[in-house]
Order: sequence, then structure tokens, then C-alpha cells
Amino acid sequence: MSQAHPTANSIAGGSPPSSSFLAKIGLRTLRRWVDHGARGVITLGGWATIFSIFGIFAYLFIEVAPLFYAAAWSEETSVQIGSLDEIPPQNVSVGINEYMEVGYVLRNGDIAFYTFPGGTPISLDPSVLSPSTTLRTGVVERSRRMPVFEKGEITALARSPGRDHVYGLGTSIGRVLPLYVTFRVTFKDDVRHTEPVVTAGEPFEAAPDASPIARLAYRETDGGPIAAVLTGSGRLFLTKAEEPEAGGLFALETESKLLQAEITDDGVDALSVLVLDDLGETLLGGTKDGKLFYWDIRDIRSPRLMGIYSTGTSVTALSYLIGDRSIVVGTEQGTVAVWMSVIDPDVGGDPRLEKIRNFSPHDGAVTTISPSLRDKGFLTAGVSGSVALHHSTSGQTLVRIPGNGSAVLSAMFAPKTDGALVLDDSGRLITYDIENEHPESTFSSLFFPVLYEGYEESLHIWQSTGGSDEFEPKFGLWPIMFGTLKGTVYAMLLATPLAVLGAIYTAMFMRPNVRAVVKPVVETMAAFPTVVLGFLAGLWFAPLLEKIFPAVAAMFLLIPLAVVVVCVGWQFLPSRLKGTSGNVTELTVFMLVLAGMTWFCLQLNHQIESWLFDSNYKGWLQSSFGLAYDQRNALVIAFAMGMAVIPTIFSISEDSLSNVPPHLIAGSLALGATPWQTLTKLVIISASPGVFSALMIGLGRVVGETMIVLMATGNTPVMDMNLFNGFRTLSANIAVEMPEAPHGGTLYRLLFLAGLLLFVFTSIVNTLAEIVRQRLRARYSQF
Amino acid sequence: MRARIKKFFDSGTLFVWFCGAAVAASLLMVGGVLLLIMINGLGFFWPHALVEMTLTDGTRVLGELKGEEVIPHSATPEFPEGKTRVRLKVGNRDLYGLDFRWVDTDRIAKAGSPNDVAAFERREWGNFYGRIREVSRSEGVVATGNQDGWKALQPLIKQANDLHEEIEHLQRDVIGDINFEIEGTRLKIRKLELRGQGDAGEVAALQAVTRQLETRYRKHVETLRALSRQLDEYSVLLVETNGREKRLPVGQIVKAFRPNDMGFFEKILTYFKNFWSVLSEEPREANTEGGIFPAIFGTVMMVLIMSVAVVPFGVLAAFYLREYAKQGLIVRVIRIAVNNLAGVPSIVFGVFGLGFFVYAVGGTIDNLFYPEALPTPTFGTGGILWASFTLALLTVPVVIVSTEEGLSAVPREYREGSLALGATKFESMLRVILPCALPGILTGLILAVARATGEVAPLMLTGVVKLAPALPLDHHFPFLHFERKFMHLGFHVFDVGFQSPNVEAAKPMVYVTTLILVMVVIMLNLSAVALRNYMQKKFKASAV
Repeated sequence: MSQAHPTANSIAGGSPPSSSFLAKIGLRTLRRWVDHGARGVITLGGWATIFSIFGIFAYLFIEVAPLFYAAAWSEETSVQIGSLDEIPPQNVSVGINEYMEVGYVLRNGDIAFYTFPGGTPISLDPSVLSPSTTLRTGVVERSRRMPVFEKGEITALARSPGRDHVYGLGTSIGRVLPLYVTFRVTFKDDVRHTEPVVTAGEPFEAAPDASPIARLAYRETDGGPIAAVLTGSGRLFLTKAEEPEAGGLFALETESKLLQAEITDDGVDALSVLVLDDLGETLLGGTKDGKLFYWDIRDIRSPRLMGIYSTGTSVTALSYLIGDRSIVVGTEQGTVAVWMSVIDPDVGGDPRLEKIRNFSPHDGAVTTISPSLRDKGFLTAGVSGSVALHHSTSGQTLVRIPGNGSAVLSAMFAPKTDGALVLDDSGRLITYDIENEHPESTFSSLFFPVLYEGYEESLHIWQSTGGSDEFEPKFGLWPIMFGTLKGTVYAMLLATPLAVLGAIYTAMFMRPNVRAVVKPVVETMAAFPTVVLGFLAGLWFAPLLEKIFPAVAAMFLLIPLAVVVVCVGWQFLPSRLKGTSGNVTELTVFMLVLAGMTWFCLQLNHQIESWLFDSNYKGWLQSSFGLAYDQRNALVIAFAMGMAVIPTIFSISEDSLSNVPPHLIAGSLALGATPWQTLTKLVIISASPGVFSALMIGLGRVVGETMIVLMATGNTPVMDMNLFNGFRTLSANIAVEMPEAPHGGTLYRLLFLAGLLLFVFTSIVNTLAEIVRQRLRARYSQF
Repeated sequence: MRARIKKFFDSGTLFVWFCGAAVAASLLMVGGVLLLIMINGLGFFWPHALVEMTLTDGTRVLGELKGEEVIPHSATPEFPEGKTRVRLKVGNRDLYGLDFRWVDTDRIAKAGSPNDVAAFERREWGNFYGRIREVSRSEGVVATGNQDGWKALQPLIKQANDLHEEIEHLQRDVIGDINFEIEGTRLKIRKLELRGQGDAGEVAALQAVTRQLETRYRKHVETLRALSRQLDEYSVLLVETNGREKRLPVGQIVKAFRPNDMGFFEKILTYFKNFWSVLSEEPREANTEGGIFPAIFGTVMMVLIMSVAVVPFGVLAAFYLREYAKQGLIVRVIRIAVNNLAGVPSIVFGVFGLGFFVYAVGGTIDNLFYPEALPTPTFGTGGILWASFTLALLTVPVVIVSTEEGLSAVPREYREGSLALGATKFESMLRVILPCALPGILTGLILAVARATGEVAPLMLTGVVKLAPALPLDHHFPFLHFERKFMHLGFHVFDVGFQSPNVEAAKPMVYVTTLILVMVVIMLNLSAVALRNYMQKKFKASAV
């Protein structure tokens, strides 16, 4: 640096430039390049960091958005399979396997298979059923007998509810033949081959008068098939062919035992549709004159009518939804409605049917309904050819495929709910591809009360997972939003006064040397891992509070009182006793008063309980206010979360209070105002925006706090403001359910939605706080 | 008088008192919590005296005294205060079913602390409290009686612990290595298959390697069996205070001590030994006993990876905001955004980390680079890298804000001086401003580390587990295993305290973990505060 011209190398590197490259371009240029490069890198890094912040929001949004996408459909295959004139809809059915690769059309006892996409017929030599009136099985697997030959014509068929493709075929001589369609899957070179197999069961006599079967309901149960048949002469019979006891290989007793009864209730001759539920416990019939008959058939020999309900117009299609609690009713006018079986919890007894939801109607009669096998969705189709996809829980029609005028004869909703197979009376077989990832979530099903299966009224319920597919997921977000609110309110009620008053004292009345100790100590509390606070709250404080609740209740009353009494008493104390060190003494006195009162209340715990709470505070709370006391409750949370945010609020409030320009305070005091007047008229008012932003930031912390809530509440998503029971918050809900949520599923996205809600809420609150703070800073800088 | 009362209220003294009480309450709460953790956590290591009580019905109870309380609703005219009862940790879970027992005080006929009772820390079923009846080898009795047995047992325990160490070494290092190689070879074969370059020779060579490895594996398993048999050679017949016997292989005993027979210094020595073993050992019995070493290690590793990720970005952003960007609306908006990020709940970062890092990025990496391991995910599942990145995002605002503070504290003259002497902007940044702002950056880093150490919620979604099979750092190439799951002190607290089958018995372990966690976090914070104070002083002095 002693050179006359301090060149850049003394700053930039030290060693003189030696390489020829440097010599060529010159050091000055290189330095300029480096400077530009660095500017670029820093700017880029800065922006990358900043983009990532917005990226988080964007990513959360992207994950959430599919929840609200409308379902989409597209036609995949459309083939003409020949004329279908003259075949009544009750004699046609279609089906498709779960990968939507192989479908079939069953009509008049004739079955034909097609591969999809494309609709190429499969030649299935022995199993193609002869078009004659005789039905012959191909591969006999389940029947213990020889191939079955059945006389008479097939007059009606019915699909057994459930996952398997099981049919009952009704004949013109009053017999029912079970038919099983299965898909045998083999793997060759890692490629899946699906081969359909048709098997017939044992036919049995379902109409004792041997008259032709006009309408049929069929259900294959473990104990044997159940059939309900309406004969051409308008008589209704119920039959269960009980499987014979296993009696050895050559047992002669192979005849099924028939349990049979005739249902003779008035009006059954007008039945147009019959369906059996999945368990084979109830039978439902719809009539041409607009009635629903509901029978209890648990005892096959004596079916019992539980009720008759009016639908208004002729019922043309009926189906149970998975779980058997909801029933879809389609009518001649094209209306689609869901009815629900309700058991009055107070009365008990028989369930009754109630119409709970209407869906957007078809033009013309509804011809077929196909329920989903995995959720509460269902497919309906009408004479106009229109096909619609509905979802019961959310009450919405997800997809509406306009018809071309040819009536739909039969349709099946794909097992994975990702498509449909439709057959219309012009002989067209169509497959649709349906994109329908999240049918159960709509804005209203998330945020408004929903009438769920088995409930009397519309409620907000969060119950995301159940034991089986039959479970109806309940995605009401309100209970957990409410829980978040509840925890926040109670925690802030406790934290706000302590933190703000403490900040005022520390900023205004504490001597600097004491303050230099107190402030870091309280701020240390901010660094406390919340998992520790949660652990202490859940395993130490909650059981303790249960024991000493009366004492704690008394503390809320007695400690402020004690402060007043000691304060007044202090005024009369001779000043030499008060000591000279000022603040330290006063703080010690405060602590002594507090600790003393706490000790006093704890000692008198049992006495307080017997004075105030009739010796049993839990019983007292229950009888006086109807409040139940749980061990892990909102009061515990209030203390624990209070502890977590007091330091945050305290620290920021204290900063803004002590940043009030000192010359303002000095001026006020110089003009004769007392310290109290200065505080209330000047300091608090001018620092109030700072205190407000402190509260906002504290609020943001409480709202999103996870571990404390997770560990110290019962995590039950209930909705009441009771201070003495638990709740579940958005954050804890994520922590509890995220590990179980399948990637990309509805629950997964809903938990992202919970995260997004937290993100948005805290962003609003923090932005508000930050803007207020910036304004405050600008205002102070004017002085 | 009235005037005086009015004056009193106008003076606001009462209000001031309430403010003071609020400070006092906050301080008491902090102090109380710290005290609670200290007492419970530090007390854990102390060899507590064993109390033997004879009850009025003649039965005896032996255990550690764990507290006394008034029996609820027990007040009678005779005992207006209510009766009391004591709580004992009686151990012997395999015999009694429960570790703890309440004894009503009025049922105790006699109580004492005999010198000859011992506590046996076992590998299973928790502690055993009692005496020794005999020590035997497979072929016969070695020593009988409590005193002789005790003497005979000491070297045997040491021997057994050495054997355990050897078995551990064999299992983890030797057999672990072989398994690692076998898995590596399997993946290589699979990779060749996937590429369709099923060069028969290459595959056959690899398969030969596998067979060779398997032979070695079987040989070591034989050795392992022999060692295990050796471990079971000696057994000790223990007897609990009421005379029920329990035969125990010596290999089951971790350590045995007679707390009532120890002098004060011996106890202190045991105290520090216990402390060290908690820090250095692996957990046992579903994490409720043993040590917390993997949790400490996992926490440190995660924090280190996070630091490497967070510092460059945080510092770059701060330099951009403070030194390069034009101060205006955009910078204000960005500041607000950074502040918002600091206020976003940690669980939201967890959700983001799971969706973005684990599923989106990790899933893509798996498809591109680890197709041979699929469907088992490599990076497509939670792991230490994703957890660290998630926490880096969470703590980046802390670093930004702190670095900005550091930059704003650098006096303006320094910049002007540097530029005036001909340095470019970057040169003055690098050589003048950055060194001055270093304490600020360091403060930010320490605060970020403190925050990350205590954070649990996001980790639960991005890769923390209750028991990790292997540490994320070992001697296998590439040494640092970013995809591995890890253990964490904070999660350990949650897991042991809330998800273990026997919460009551696990509590001491939770308190110890809590104590260590809190100590680390507080120490980090205090050092950050100290650093900040130092920085402020330094520039105050130089500015004058």
C-alpha cells in the first residue's frame, strides 16, 4: 500500500497478475467482470430466496386445487353390437372389470364379452351361451353338478349388490338361476391377461306357482342366494335357497333347502322395481303409482313391512348405495333423489326412510342406477340417453353426459370410479373415461353442515377415516377450524394481559440494570421448544390440574385481590422499610405475593373444593353448567400456549413501548404530567400500534402451534367452547392424519387445504402487523 | 380520606402493581418450568436409596421412594388432614406387572434402607430390586449367598458387557457390512435387468459375489451364536424382598449397584457415569431406557445439513435486500413476505416439505436414478435431507433478518471509505462489509440452529422416526446417507412421552431428553444474545 498508485491487486488479490489471460484483458476489466458477476449472483440468490417464499404458497395452492376441479369425462369407445329391440330393460345388464379392460353384455340369457378400449368381441368358445332358450354354462367351477340346462325363457335378471359380478336370472317358469361372471387374471412376461369365466349355480324355484318372473331382486349371501320375485300375475315371493350342510363328497342331500314366503301387502302388484340390500336384510320395492315399500326380511319366512313412502311419481329405478343406509330413487319424470334410513335414537325400533337430497333430473324416466363400489357416488341414466354421475354426501351432480335420444338400457359405474360402461337401445355399447378424483369435496360439503348417513340432522363433522369402504368419510372442516379458534381465544385471553402489562412495567418502571436481566430471561422462554411445553402440559400439568383445579380457580380470584391488598398496604408502609434499591425490592415483593398466594391456594385445595364446589368440582361443573371435565382440556392449553407466546408478545410490545422517543416523555414530564399520566396519555397511545402488531404476531404463533395441542388435548374434533374439554386444531389435525393419508387422495389434499388456510391466515395477520409496525417506525422517525 | 383514595387511584399505582405482578408471574413461570425440568432431569442420574418396608400384614416392599401425597377424599374426623400414601418404584416388572406402587402410610410397620439390597439394571423388563441367592454356571453353583454372590457377580457383569460389545460389533459392523454389500449387489443385478443389458456373464459374476457373501454371512452368524451361548453361560438367581425367585442370565444385566452401600463420592461418580451412558448409549426397551445417542447424533446431523443449506441463501438474500436492491416498494413487499415466512406455522412447512421435497422432488429422483430399488422408495420417502431442507426454509427468515441487522450496523463510512479507495462494490462487500457483518450472520445462524433443534412438527412429516436402524453417517460409501431416516431429540420427547406403552416408566427418560434439549437450545440462544451484544458494542465504539 506504500506504492504511489495503490493498484487494485492490493485489494483484490495481493499477487501481481502473471497469467497471460489476465495481461490480455487487463485487471480492471476482470475486476469489473467479477463485480458484475457477483451482482448477478447476489441478485439471483436474493430473488431465488424470495421466489421460494411465494413458491410455497403456489405449491400449496396447486396441491389443493384439484379438490375443487369439476369432474371431466370423455367418450373412449363406442361400438354397435347389434339390435336390441324388444328387450325390456329388466332383462339386460352390462358389467366391466376393475381395470376397464373386459366388459360384457348379458341379455336374454345370452352373454357376450368385449375388450376395451376398442370393443372387440372376445370369442369365448364354450362359455358363449347359446342364443336358444336353453342356458348352458361353459366352465363349471362352482356348481357341484353337471352343466346346467334350464328350461323356459329368461324373463328378468338382477345383479347382486357388491363387488362380484353375480346375477340371478329369472325364467318364465318361476325359477331363478344364479350366474357368476369372474375375471381370471394371469401374468405372462409381466403383462396382465384377463380372461372372463362364466359359471352357473344351482337354479331354484322362486315362484311356487311356476308363473313367469316379471321383476326380480337377487342377492348372494354366505348362507345362500336370496331372491325376491314379482310374477306376471302380480304376486310377490321371497325365497332363500339355504345351502345344504356339507355332508361329505357323495352325500345325497344336495338339494338346497328353500325358505319361502309370499308378501301379500296391498299394492305389491303395482311394483315396478325391486332391490335387496347388501346384507340381505331389507327389501325395497318401488311401484308404478309412486310408492316405496320397505320390508324387513331378516326372517325370510315372515317378512315384515316397515313402511310405505310416497315418491310422487312412478318409480323406475332403485338402488342401495354402499353401506345400505342410503337409497337412490329414480322416477318416471327423471328425478333422482337419495333417501336415507334413519333410526330415531330416542325411540329405536324400525328404521324409517326419509328423502334427504334431490339431484338434477334427467329428461324423461330414469332407467338405471349403478352405485359406486368404493364411495357414496352413483351413476344414473335415462330414456333420453343421458348419463349422470352424482355423489350423495356432497349432494352434487359431478358429470352430466348428454344423450343422443336412445334410451339407456343398462350402465355400470366402473369399480375404480374412473369410468362407465353404457348400453343403449340402439345397440350401442359405450365406455366413458371419467376423471373424478375428489367427488366428496365441494365448498359446501367442507364448510357447511351436511346430513350424513345415520344422523338426524345436518352437522359439521370431521371423521376422515373409517374401517371399511362402506364408511362415509365426513370432511366438515368447521370442527377443526373451530378448535383452532377455541385454542387461540383461550391462550390469547391468558397471554395478552400478562405479556402486555409485563411489557409496560418493564419498559416504563423497571430500572435499566434489572431490565437487562429480565428481558433476556423472558425472551429465553421464546426459544423453549414447544414439544417440551407440550410434554409438560400433557404429562405433568394436566394430571396436576385435575387434582388442584379448585386451587387454580381460586388463584384467578385471590391473586388479583392479594395484589390490591398488598398494594394498598404498601402505601402505608414507612418508606425506610421499602428499601432503597427500588425496583428489585418491588419485583421481589410481587414475586413473594404471587408465590405466597399460590402456595396458600394449593394448601387450601380441599377446603376450597368443599366451600365452593360441594367437595366435588367435576360434579359441580356438570350439574351447575353442564360442563364435562376432561383431563386434557382447553385450560391446560391456555397455560401452555400462553407460555409459548407471552415472550413473543412481551418482547415486541416492550420494544415498541421503549422506542417511544424519550424527548416526548421528557417533555410530558417537564410539563407537569405525572408518570401515570405520561404513561396513559402518551406512551401507551403512541405505542399502541406496536402492541397491536405484537398481539397479531402472537396470534399467528398460537394459531399454528402444533406440538402443544397435539400432546395436551385429546384431539377430539368436537365443537363447543367448554373450557374443560379438548379440541382438535388444523395444525394438530395435519400432524395426526398426514402420515396415514395416501399421496394424492382427498384426505391428503384436504390436509394441504388445512395448511393453506393456516398459511393464508397467518400471512394476513403478519402482513397487518408488519404494515402497522412500518408505519409506526416512519412516524417515530419524524420526531 | 376520600381525596386520598382518589389520589391513590389517579396515581395509577394499582395499575403499576398489576403490571409488575404480570412480570413476576411470567418470571415465575419460566423459573418454575426450568426448575421442574432440572429437578426431574438431573435427579434421574442419581443413585437413589432403596427403601425396604415391612407392612402391617407382614409383606414387604422394596423400591425407590418417589413421593408422598394425601389420599384424595380420605379426610375423616380422626384424620382431618386426610391420610397419606407414598409412591414407590418397585421395579421387577416381570414379577409384579407394574413398576410403581402406592403404599398407604398407616400400613407401614417398619421401614429401613438395608445396605445389602441391590438394583440390577436389565436389558429387558426394567430394573430388578432385591438380593442374590446364588450365582451359577451351566454345570454348577459358583457362589451362594448375597455377599459372596455379589462379589462373584461383579467380574461376570463386566465380562458379559464385553461380550455384548463384541456381539454388537459383529452384528452391526461385520454382518451389517455384508448385508450392505448383498443389497448393493442385488440392486446392481436389478439395474442390469432394467437396462435390458442382461449380459449373462456380468450377472453371473454378481450372483457369485452374492453367494460368496452369503457364505461369509453364515460363518459370522455361527460365531454370533457361539457368543450368545457364552453369554448365557452364567446365571444369577435373584430373590425379591418377599422371597420370590427369578433366575437371570448374567448377560441380561447391564449394571448392578447397591445404592445404600455407596459413599457420597461414589454416588457422584455413579451420577456422572450414568449421565455419560445416557449420552453415549443406544436406546433400549422401545426407547424408554438406555441412552439417547442416536437422537443426539440425528439432531446434530440434521442441523448441520440445514446450516449448509440455509446460510448461503439467507446471506445472499440479505445482501441483495440491503446492499444491491433499490429501496422502494418492491423491497418493502419482499420484507413483508420474509416476515410472513417467519410467521408461517411450522407444520405448514412440514406439509410443504412432504408434498414438494419428498413426493415431487424425491419421487422424480427415484424414477431417474434409483429405478432398480423401486417400488421401495429411496429419496421418495422422508429422510434427513428433506427434513433439513424443510427446516432450512423455515429458518431462512431468521438468517435474513439477522444478517440485515448486521449489515445495517456497519457504519456508512466503511462502505464509502472502501469505495473511495478504488475497490469495486463486490470487493468492498467481500473484504469490508462481510467481515463486519459476520457476527450478525453468526447470530442468525445460531438462532436458526436453536429454532431447528427444538422444532418437531415439520420433522414428523419429513423423515424423523422413533427408531432409526442406522445412523445417517457411517463408513459405507458415500459416508453421508442423505436418504436415511433419523432420530431427533424433540421427536424423542414426543414419542417416548406419548406413544410408549408404559408412559409412567418412560417419564424419567423424557425428562432427561427434555433437559438436554432445553439446555442445548438455551445455550445456543444465550450465545446468540452474547454475540449480538458484542456486535452492538463493537460498532458503537467504532462509530464514536
